[in-house]
Amino acid sequence: MKIKDQFRFVRQNIKKNKVRTGMTILATAMGCTFLIVLASVGYGLQESIVKDTLEQQIVTEIDVYGHISEDGNYRPLTMEDIDVLESIDNVNAVTRRNELRQFPTFSLDEYKSETTTVAAHFPSEIASGMELDEGRLPEKPNEVVVGYHFLDYFVLDVEDENIYDETNGEIKEEYLYQADLIGKTLDMTVRKDEMTDDNEHSIPLTVVGILKEPTREWMQDQKVYISSDVFADVEAYTGTPGGELGVDVNALESTAADSFDNVKVYATNLEAVQAIVDELDDGNYASYSVVSEMKQINMLFTIMKTGLILVGTIAILIASIGIYNTMTMAVTERAPDIGIMKAIGAHPKTIKQIFLLESSYIGIIGALIGTVVAYVVSFLVNLGLPLIIEFAFKEELPEQLQFSMIPVSLVLIAVGICLLVTILSGLRPAKRATQIDVLKAMRREI
Amino acid sequence: MITVKQLSHHFVLGKKKQETTLSVLQDISIQVNKGEIVTIVGKSGSGKSTLLNLISGFIRPTEGEIWINDQKVSNFSEAEFADFRLKHMGFIFQSFQLIPSMTAFQNIELPLILNGESESSRKEITLAILDKVGLKEFADHYPSELSGGQQQRVSIARALVLKPPLILADEPTGSLDSETETELLQFIKELNQEMGITFLIITHDDEVAAIGDRTITISDGCIVEGVKSR
Repeated sequence: MKIKDQFRFVRQNIKKNKVRTGMTILATAMGCTFLIVLASVGYGLQESIVKDTLEQQIVTEIDVYGHISEDGNYRPLTMEDIDVLESIDNVNAVTRRNELRQFPTFSLDEYKSETTTVAAHFPSEIASGMELDEGRLPEKPNEVVVGYHFLDYFVLDVEDENIYDETNGEIKEEYLYQADLIGKTLDMTVRKDEMTDDNEHSIPLTVVGILKEPTREWMQDQKVYISSDVFADVEAYTGTPGGELGVDVNALESTAADSFDNVKVYATNLEAVQAIVDELDDGNYASYSVVSEMKQINMLFTIMKTGLILVGTIAILIASIGIYNTMTMAVTERAPDIGIMKAIGAHPKTIKQIFLLESSYIGIIGALIGTVVAYVVSFLVNLGLPLIIEFAFKEELPEQLQFSMIPVSLVLIAVGICLLVTILSGLRPAKRATQIDVLKAMRREI
Repeated sequence: MITVKQLSHHFVLGKKKQETTLSVLQDISIQVNKGEIVTIVGKSGSGKSTLLNLISGFIRPTEGEIWINDQKVSNFSEAEFADFRLKHMGFIFQSFQLIPSMTAFQNIELPLILNGESESSRKEITLAILDKVGLKEFADHYPSELSGGQQQRVSIARALVLKPPLILADEPTGSLDSETETELLQFIKELNQEMGITFLIITHDDEVAAIGDRTITISDGCIVEGVKSR
């Protein structure tokens, strides 16, 4: 018997009991909708969290905190380590920074600012993606570049005046430095702990460039990027690593730090990150990357999604009881017809196939309807739930938060589970159909 | 065509552990040749229907062998017998055994569907056979819309549609009036003569028994009279 004819048989049989089959399909559809919507919450939250994590971090960036020695102690990274890191395959750049451990005062005419000061290795910074908004990179030791927001905090040195705009809390424009900063010389004043008049040291630095605005809206870059020579000058003046204040100079073994505070490895692409992290692990470097975080997040959500799918499957299992019942009744009702078919030569396999096809048909139609309804429910949940939460709890939710998401994979899983469960529930009635006694069936004794 | 050798059959009746055995056929041996019409007569409960059901493969013999077309069918599995029935046997039942939800056309088409024939070929063959049994205009009628004689013609058409060499008939005229019975018997004879189809007919009606080339009488599960040949 051809499969096309088997389908025709199934359609004819379903038509005979439209209401009963319809209700069974409805139960299956509800089970399928429940499974998809439930699991879609896991998918939606995962998507939101992953998106949020990726937006807050550069995905190809790997922070390297230090080297772990055999006795388990951390050692800050030195130039030797940088060479090792740069030799790893698919590493695009290794940036290394040292931050001054005090806030120097930068002044020009009557304007001044106290801000974070960083000694950076510019070639690697440029390779990692640092870009200039205007000017050029430093070429001489006393040349610096400043962050994009430096000028937002470079203010007129006035006392007893309210420099802040009360409406938005920002510094009033008239107090900010308005002229072009490129080519101007800033005085960087650093301090040391000695209680003498000579406890301040001023270093003239020429601004040669301003960096581009950070890509993340929420990031502010008001740093001053100095050369390692100037950094060494400060250390020599204060006698402490990074010019740190509040340290007993006499207790230090060395006055200068030959290591780096902040080392970042940049991979050529996202796919290469994991291999680099693995190599760093092998080399006993403590590192962190967004990929590691993603791995943990994805693992957590995989467990959560699996759990939700399992719970959702229970709904389909309940629906399968209906299918079993429908199919059993169908077999009983059609026993005489089955008997006749067997008498004239229908193969038991054909009888079984027809009934399995019928239960699969119910499963597929139910799954398709369930999927469509699930998409509608998911859309309504994403639309309505934030409004309900805002109304009920007076809390505004993040704009990109997605409660429910239905990827194709979830639909395939749900349809697969639905189909499997319906086939399994149709298996016993189908087997029963093949075991029908021809003579009893034809005598209507079943 | 059919060889039955020392066939015995008994039914096990009653509840578990309280079973009783009812012997229905004892040591039956018959031979049906190709192109013959053989009738089996006997009283109710004599075992003639059981013999037909054993030959049809609807039940398994307790002892003995059944050979059809040189194949030992008594050893066949259910699936093998189903295939064999489809290709080598046609059936005519007393109560027609038509599927009520199918039209006359669909009932006749059913063996063709089971045999995997194409839709166009099925239509052609079914219409031809409907024409042959004189029911072309009743093709779209359901069994409940046909008379007993018409239903039996549909049943015969269904039995003939795959051109089997053997047709087994169990009381084919049992539900028909005498006029229709005569028509039907005439039709069976025509089929036998035109198409060379072998018929094995179970009946308790002398008129039906009379159309057979030979008649075998069964009583209490045994062949009690020698074969009457005409």
